[in-house]
Amino acid sequence: MSGPTLYVVLVAFGVVVGVASGLLGVGGGTLIVPFLTLAVGFSQHSAEATSLLVILPTAIAGSLVLRRRGVGDLGLALRFGTVGAVGSVLGALLALALPANALRLVFAVFVGVVGLRLARDGIRGDAPAEPG
Amino acid sequence: MHARLQSLGLDSKLVAIGLGGGLLSGLLGVGGGIVMVPLLVLWAGYTQRNAHAISLGAIIPISIAGIATYGVAGEVRYGTAIALAAGSIVGARIGAGYLARIDERLLKVVFGTFLVGVAILMGVHP
Repeated sequence: MSGPTLYVVLVAFGVVVGVASGLLGVGGGTLIVPFLTLAVGFSQHSAEATSLLVILPTAIAGSLVLRRRGVGDLGLALRFGTVGAVGSVLGALLALALPANALRLVFAVFVGVVGLRLARDGIRGDAPAEPG
Repeated sequence: MHARLQSLGLDSKLVAIGLGGGLLSGLLGVGGGIVMVPLLVLWAGYTQRNAHAISLGAIIPISIAGIATYGVAGEVRYGTAIALAAGSIVGARIGAGYLARIDERLLKVVFGTFLVGVAILMGVHP
């Protein structure tokens, strides 16, 4: 894929990601990273980096909606996230230090665990996750 | 250090959850909500609704830090991200609108199984 075709596919896949996260609370990076590596041919590192830049505007849009509805405490969330940012820099540096194959395996294990947990919740009929 | 964190209104549980969620986010390019929400509910005692809101807000500074770190290394593809984000913001509204009308259990089983397949595919094609 290249040029305009690729961008049409990217926007369309973005819609799928958005629907999945709106419905299940799972989506974002769990779908974007495998899509960019397996279908578009990105390196594991570029896929993860690009995924974060998709997640950022989505989180901003979602947080603004929740704040308008009076859900949660955005100030506390941002202070909490500032501590998290320290972890994020360390995680990204660790990822950059790992070879792509090793990082990809770690990611595969993560997606597998998320998938098994979701399927188990579905079979058990656990309480639905909070929509977002 | 400890006093400074307390002045931010963060107890040691929030600090630990934030660091863990951030680490996962930076390492794997995901939001980190998948670990933060359950820990906020089960360990820190937040309601599901508040945990979700706090996790989502926290992803803002967490993802900015990750983007900056990967950006310095030249790994961020901006055009691709903008196209995906444009679709994703529209899709999220559609998904939220259908929330009350779907068979969530079936969807979870199908989607969960799909993700296990994705994991295997990524594992065998390194």
